[in-house]
Amino acid sequence: MNASLIVSAVDLHRRYGEGDAAVDALDGVTVGFPKGRFTAIMGPSGSGKSTLMHILAGLDRPTSGSVVVDDIELASLDDKKLTQLRRDKFGFIFQFFNLLPVLTAEENITLPLKIAGKKPEKAWLDELIEAVGLSDRRSHRPSQLSGGQQQRVAVARALLTKPAVVFADEPTGNLDSKAGDEVLQMLRRAADEYGQTVIMVTHDPHAASIADHIVVLVDGKVVRETPAGEADEVVELMKAVA
Amino acid sequence: MLAVSLKGMAGRKLRTVLTALAVVLGVALIAGTYILTDTIDRQFDQIFAQVRQGVDVSVTPKKVFNSDNNATPPAFPESYLSQVQNVPGVQKASGGIFDDGVVLDNKGKKIGGANGAPNFISSDAPAPFNPFHYVAGHGPRGPNEISIDKYTADKQHWKVGSIVRVGGQGPATPYTVVGIAKFGNLSGLAGAPIAVMTLQQAQKVTDKVGKFDGIDVKAAPGVKPEALVQRVQQALPGTVTVRTGAEQAAKDASDTKSGLGFIKTILLVFAGVALFVGAFMIFNSFSITIAQRTRELSMLRTVGASRRQVLGSVLGEAVVMGFTASLIGLGLGVALAKGLKALFKAIGADLPGGATVLESRTIIVSLIVGTLVTLVASLSPAVRATRIQPIEGVREGAVLPSTRFSRIKTPFGAVTLAIGVGLMCLGLLTGSSGSGVWLPLLFGTILVFIGAAMFSSRLVKPIASLVGRPIESLRGVTGQLARENATRNTARTASTAAALMIGLALVSGVTIFASGIKKSVNSAIDNSVKAGLVVENKDGWTSIPAAAGKAVGQVPGVSSSSEIRLSQAKVAGVSGTPDVSGVDPATLPSVYQLDWKKGSNATLAGLARDGGNNTIVSESWAKSKDKHVGDKVAVTTQSGNHATYTIIGTYKNNVHFLGDLAVSNATLARDFKITEDQFVMFGLKPGANADQVKTQAENILSKQFPNAQADTKSGFKKTQTEWINQISAFFYVLLSLAVIVSLFGIVNTLVLAIYERTRELGLLRAVGMSRRQVKRIVRYESVITALIGAILGTVLGVFFAVIVSRPLASEGFELSFPVGTLVILLILAGLAGVLAAITPARRASKLNVLEALAYE
Repeated sequence: MNASLIVSAVDLHRRYGEGDAAVDALDGVTVGFPKGRFTAIMGPSGSGKSTLMHILAGLDRPTSGSVVVDDIELASLDDKKLTQLRRDKFGFIFQFFNLLPVLTAEENITLPLKIAGKKPEKAWLDELIEAVGLSDRRSHRPSQLSGGQQQRVAVARALLTKPAVVFADEPTGNLDSKAGDEVLQMLRRAADEYGQTVIMVTHDPHAASIADHIVVLVDGKVVRETPAGEADEVVELMKAVA
Repeated sequence: MLAVSLKGMAGRKLRTVLTALAVVLGVALIAGTYILTDTIDRQFDQIFAQVRQGVDVSVTPKKVFNSDNNATPPAFPESYLSQVQNVPGVQKASGGIFDDGVVLDNKGKKIGGANGAPNFISSDAPAPFNPFHYVAGHGPRGPNEISIDKYTADKQHWKVGSIVRVGGQGPATPYTVVGIAKFGNLSGLAGAPIAVMTLQQAQKVTDKVGKFDGIDVKAAPGVKPEALVQRVQQALPGTVTVRTGAEQAAKDASDTKSGLGFIKTILLVFAGVALFVGAFMIFNSFSITIAQRTRELSMLRTVGASRRQVLGSVLGEAVVMGFTASLIGLGLGVALAKGLKALFKAIGADLPGGATVLESRTIIVSLIVGTLVTLVASLSPAVRATRIQPIEGVREGAVLPSTRFSRIKTPFGAVTLAIGVGLMCLGLLTGSSGSGVWLPLLFGTILVFIGAAMFSSRLVKPIASLVGRPIESLRGVTGQLARENATRNTARTASTAAALMIGLALVSGVTIFASGIKKSVNSAIDNSVKAGLVVENKDGWTSIPAAAGKAVGQVPGVSSSSEIRLSQAKVAGVSGTPDVSGVDPATLPSVYQLDWKKGSNATLAGLARDGGNNTIVSESWAKSKDKHVGDKVAVTTQSGNHATYTIIGTYKNNVHFLGDLAVSNATLARDFKITEDQFVMFGLKPGANADQVKTQAENILSKQFPNAQADTKSGFKKTQTEWINQISAFFYVLLSLAVIVSLFGIVNTLVLAIYERTRELGLLRAVGMSRRQVKRIVRYESVITALIGAILGTVLGVFFAVIVSRPLASEGFELSFPVGTLVILLILAGLAGVLAAITPARRASKLNVLEALAYE
């Protein structure tokens, strides 16, 4: 296994249901994610890309196979340890419902640290809020923010703990293209400027094209692993596997 | 449409069960109350019918007027018997005695205890009037023989030949049991022991030599009892009542039952409280589920359901739930009736039992009340449900359209509150008695609660800050989220907390009031009682034989004694039947200092002058009846005598130690025919040890007058306040039902809120919140909600205690705030919040993160 891989999965199987109704969402996936890089997991609906992300992030457990994150074997962890791992090593950005409506933008950003009972580093927090362009929105509640602004709060929250990996699940799926581009650019800059490892699940070729590296999943199997090129190439790629 | 609702109910089992529980408990208390009191009533009906068997016409002393203490009117002369025997159509007539006495158990204590069933002494009646039939032995034939009812004999293991001590007006003396008797098919008088003596002995023991408590008459063949009643009545003076045997049995039964009527009233009031609290919970529960079902209802509207159908579906659900819950409550009531009986027994009132009586009235009232309460409470949510538009089905989130009402809710609540307070004041300050006071008070209280509940959504935020900040500074983000969640929907939190508020308001009101009474009694005794020793009945209110006080007067160390006696009178031209105390003008000042308003201890001597036709009256009575010193009052006594007294002084009647009027004991004996003592107070010689004197007095009393007890001054304070603790404890037990219902309300709201916040909780878990922290959020939210209710409730409780006690201030009532107890109540409420959070917190922490985050 390559030492520069921050997340690696070996022969992952995930089966839902039993008997005739059983569905193999993942059917022997072996994949690695290099440190400090931006990787997009692509695939059509039902390809197993979300399941893969959930298992990598410790939100779900594989039927068989192994996941190692930052030299830690996830299978060896109980629920409590997994929760701690998510808190300390991962950042999350979801498609919908990323924020708590009762907390302000700033409180949402610092939420994971507060859960851990830690205080945010002031300078880093200010820098992040500045970077996501929310300096004048710090004490607004989510209901007072646009969809794009809400998602940028989620990006800042994911980055604040300087996690080993940021997992983004269709982060642009619910945004218009301008707001979506802004969020993608922020993730891109996080990888470039802070060396942040980002793993993003998307079915949007345009979104995937911003990544360094693309993993394509079809029917629970990895069919391509390729460096990202232009959007056109990605579209071709998708057509090819379809 | 109803089918959709019912399937929904089945799908939301926990919510349905929790909501229904509120109705179940309230209805169970209603049904239990009716079953208990009906069972008792039936028992009394049977007993008195048996007792009067074989009696065609019954002659009893006439009650001059009805009064609170239900005193038995004085006996009439024996000579009436021959007058009755001379009435044509009378085949046989016989006079008898039936009076209270004391039958001692094997340990020398009154059977049933001081507050238990009465003990009776009866004369043996000849056939056909004798209600007894002997299962062993025979009736009493000599002065030292008695027969005993089978129930008591069995319980005390007495047999023919046993020696039993019985006392009337004199000391208890030993008798030999010569017979064990049943009343028809009943083995006893609902647990009240009855000792049957020869007529002469019964007259002697009850101090009624030459008198009868009643005459039983048997009509000659062919003479109708109704016709005979008229003839007997004409032959006797108007101081007696003549009834047929059946009428007399019914009258006896209804007299006894009316004495127990207050029990029914009190229990039904508590059932009402529980249902009132339950109504808040039902309202809340329906409001939340309808918000959550917005999509479903909108879809129904889209596919063509009319508003009326939506309304019908929600109300139908309410009716089905209310009716089912009422049925279960009814079933539970049967068990609860037994529990209530045990509760009364615990506070010393052993009620008679018998086969459980389930009247159709019980069933009808329980079912109708339970269903109606549910229906009314769900009315407003149901109307809101009809405002859901078809288009809302496609929108994300579930927000109910707000009604016009929600905008005017705060001012409306404030106005309701004000009207409630006004009504309470009206009742307390202007109402003279009875329903004039309690009706406005009751409706005022209900309006205050409703108004406070509506207004309180404004108070949720500040109070949540108050109690939430400390948790937040201690626990950080979980505390903050709990506080934010509690204040997210202030209306919902307010109405959840309101349920607890009601319970807490009543509990703290009772607590403050009880503490005030205790303080008042203590300070009244401190300020007025100079006696070192007080002798009174163990039950605290019944009189004791004068001989008891005389006996204690012989104890060495006692220097003086003064008797205080009690009767009641009707005063011409004014309402009510005030208590009339008898005092000894010569000795009273040595043991008791009156709090004079007009007059002094010298005035007391005036009670003995002018032929004893002077009286002193309490200031509050004089004021409310517009009587002044120098006025004459014409009284009718309970023995039917008329007298006119001149008011020569007024006193502040602190804690009603005396009656509203006081005359000399000689006057009380002459006009009221009362010679028994209410209290006897004793002065002690200088240097005498009060405890030693008390021990000696107790020795004498326990041997001869087991009903009476002697107390030192501090012991007297204790016995005079003991009943307050008992009654408060009794209230607490019944109010705890309302508190439990409100806790179910918190559980319900939390469960529903957690369901709504599934995704938020999923997000929190995903970004690293542990299960324990999730539990904490729910627990703190519950505690905050409970404390909001508790704080509002305590404030209302203080208000209630203050306003209700206002009119009593002139009678020596002193307010006292038991701060420690109130703080404990708040802490208990917080702990109750923790308890209520157990199930919801577990549910929240067990949430599957992936499912919670799953998109549409």
